[in-house]
Amino acid sequence: MTILSTARKVIFATVLASVSAFAMSASAETLTVMQIEAPRSMDPGDQSATYTNALLAPVYEGLVLRASDLSLAPGLATEWTIDESGKVYTFKLRENVVFHDGTPFNAEAVVYNFERHLNTERGLAASGRLRTILDSIEAVDDMTVQFNLKSPYPAFLNILTTNSAQQVSPTADAAGNLGAASVGTGPYKMVEYRSGEFVDQTKFDGYWGDNSNSVDDIRWTWSSEPSVLSMALQTGDADVINPVPPVFAATIEANPELNLAVSPGSAVFWLSLNVESEPLNDVRVRQALNFATDKEGLIASIMSGYATPANSPLATVAEGYRADLNPYPFDIERAKALLAEAGVPDGFTMSVVVQEQEARIAEILQAMWAKIGVTLDVRRMESGVWSASAFGDEKQKAEEGVDSVIASWSSGVNGPDLQFRPLYHTASFSPTSANLGFYSNPDFDRQLDEAAAMTDVDARNKVYGDLQELINTDAPHVLLYVTQDLIATRDGVEGVWMIPGGLVRVDTVTK
Amino acid sequence: MQGYILRKILSLPLILIGVSLLVFVSIRMLPGETARVMAGPEATQEAVEAMTTRLGLDKPVLVQYWTFVTNALQGDFGESIRSRKPVWDEIADRMPYTVALAVVSYIFAIGIGIPAGMLAAVWRNRWPDYVVMIFAIAGASIANFWLALLAMNYFSVQLRWLPLLGANSWQSYILPAVTLAVLPMAVLARMTRSSMIEVLSQDYIRTARAKGLAPRQVYWSHALRNALIPIITIVGLNFGGLIGGAVVTESVFNWPGIGRLMVDAVRYRDYPVIQGATMVAVCAVVFINFIAEMTIAALNPRIRFD
Repeated sequence: MTILSTARKVIFATVLASVSAFAMSASAETLTVMQIEAPRSMDPGDQSATYTNALLAPVYEGLVLRASDLSLAPGLATEWTIDESGKVYTFKLRENVVFHDGTPFNAEAVVYNFERHLNTERGLAASGRLRTILDSIEAVDDMTVQFNLKSPYPAFLNILTTNSAQQVSPTADAAGNLGAASVGTGPYKMVEYRSGEFVDQTKFDGYWGDNSNSVDDIRWTWSSEPSVLSMALQTGDADVINPVPPVFAATIEANPELNLAVSPGSAVFWLSLNVESEPLNDVRVRQALNFATDKEGLIASIMSGYATPANSPLATVAEGYRADLNPYPFDIERAKALLAEAGVPDGFTMSVVVQEQEARIAEILQAMWAKIGVTLDVRRMESGVWSASAFGDEKQKAEEGVDSVIASWSSGVNGPDLQFRPLYHTASFSPTSANLGFYSNPDFDRQLDEAAAMTDVDARNKVYGDLQELINTDAPHVLLYVTQDLIATRDGVEGVWMIPGGLVRVDTVTK
Repeated sequence: MQGYILRKILSLPLILIGVSLLVFVSIRMLPGETARVMAGPEATQEAVEAMTTRLGLDKPVLVQYWTFVTNALQGDFGESIRSRKPVWDEIADRMPYTVALAVVSYIFAIGIGIPAGMLAAVWRNRWPDYVVMIFAIAGASIANFWLALLAMNYFSVQLRWLPLLGANSWQSYILPAVTLAVLPMAVLARMTRSSMIEVLSQDYIRTARAKGLAPRQVYWSHALRNALIPIITIVGLNFGGLIGGAVVTESVFNWPGIGRLMVDAVRYRDYPVIQGATMVAVCAVVFINFIAEMTIAALNPRIRFD
């Protein structure tokens, strides 16, 4: 009898404990965000992937922040000055900021952060861009830092909002575990990272700003299968999904429990033409391919309409974007005439290397270009194989017969230089950077370099306008479309916003 | 018998060394650079090169293999390039989930596949046989991945009966385990059917019937027992296939097992994890096959050991 009652007590206590544990977990609000890709690192400076940046955004901050209206706002720096040469930036740092591990945030921490990128031996994945711009950094006093640039670079403030400039705890970095455990100054701190399942973040009590009006916890999960994302949102396994596969947009819109948000994106999709390869070395052939591309048709079939035809190498949200250009209206006859002028009236055969997820684009182009006699040999590849092929040098591409590559590029709202330079500058020939078709125009290079150093915004944008025309005329790419950013939330989730290019911000969300 | 077992056991390390070399070299031969995949598309070549050096991927393959083997013998499979956690910890975290899923789906496969096969054999060329064989053929040919998505959409999204993702409760086992069980279930049903048909035509079954034994006794005690030998072989050999299926099933259902770990690792060219997880999977298959062989040897007196 005694034994039985003890057993009963134990069972009762267990039940009670599990009920109260359940009640506790239910009282804490958790926002579940599901993305299409697993995180690549917990160190923002050791990767450059948009979805990883989104996951790390609640944990890390830069000296300058991107506000929800996309303007630049003071972050860990309260004010800054730029000297007349445009090369010296001085930042006053915010007082009373601590990292999640208790390390104080000060000039020493900032210097440590940028020096880890300048240190070539570290081999951090995101260091390249900073290293080309930044010469040195020094602490003026405990709360003031000074950056010395190699040459004037007005988009430097934009760079400071991106992943490589996110401030990590020097203590955690020195201990060497930042790749597995994030430690920043943001409104949320990382609790747990289970590499196959989730990343959990919880509100940071010692945050310098006001983080009281948002959910208590954020859980990030991921699946590489687009239909799983859509299903998870419908069942409530996810409160937010990023991105929404365009084919599921209509289903989500029709469901009263779900909301779909569509905003202009910044990823420009294109087909890069290898200008070293015949007959693509003839500008008329490249133009002909542009005329033979029905962008509207492509958008309707690939993106369910959620994209805009690319009329410029820049995305519509980019600074200096010119909406008035329409260089290549769909025109088969002009395409045929140009091919005839170039001496290939019957067309030719060319290859394209494409990743699995973009293979449909290639297949549609194949059908469209067949009408002007161009046979497109589509080589579908797994992404790792594709990147080895797409980023090959001139010799490798000649040997493998790679005539073109389908890819996209997104410089977000961080300035046209970050779109133009990697894609079209002579110094960016692959594998160094993303000039995948070896386009080279000294005039373009000169103007781009001049624009990069111009502090007068209007004058700079004028040059960027001219450069858009120049690229359109030279046609090193067949420009396809600019995606729209689609995210979906369950009803009742408020405060999600998006930095164009797919970087979802959820640290101000209520549920 | 003992000599046979001893020889089998002694051959295991050789198999493992061979397999490890094969895995190591073939992974290194995969086209595509780890450093570029990890660094992301916007990384400059300089960053990619620095990362290659940091990861030790610029060293000759044999040097990398030697480092791998010497470390592995000390229980150190290295560190995941992506999560920065010891590979062994990653595997140990995931292994219970994969084993649990495999066991549950094997229970489904055996529990349904064998009786269904028997049913088909007993009712040979009549409608129960046709029904079972239609399902068996469909089950063996359907794409695991597609079936998983269909099942998720119907049972989780439409009906809301079962959890969609993860491994949080006993209910979460049902969809992935059934999806994973479909192929071995189909194979077992067909195998049991043909094995039973063969046994049922033997003289001793006729004798048993003639003695007036109840059909249940004839089928379960006499026929099934003898029909089981080839079936156990299939059960054992199929375990490798189950692990292959787990790779797909776990990815679709966000099941935190070895299969999902491997898919993510391949996507990011996370060499240490691919090596570690593959070695563990291979060891599991070799071990299960070994157990299957031993069981068959014990069951079948016709197998000679010397």
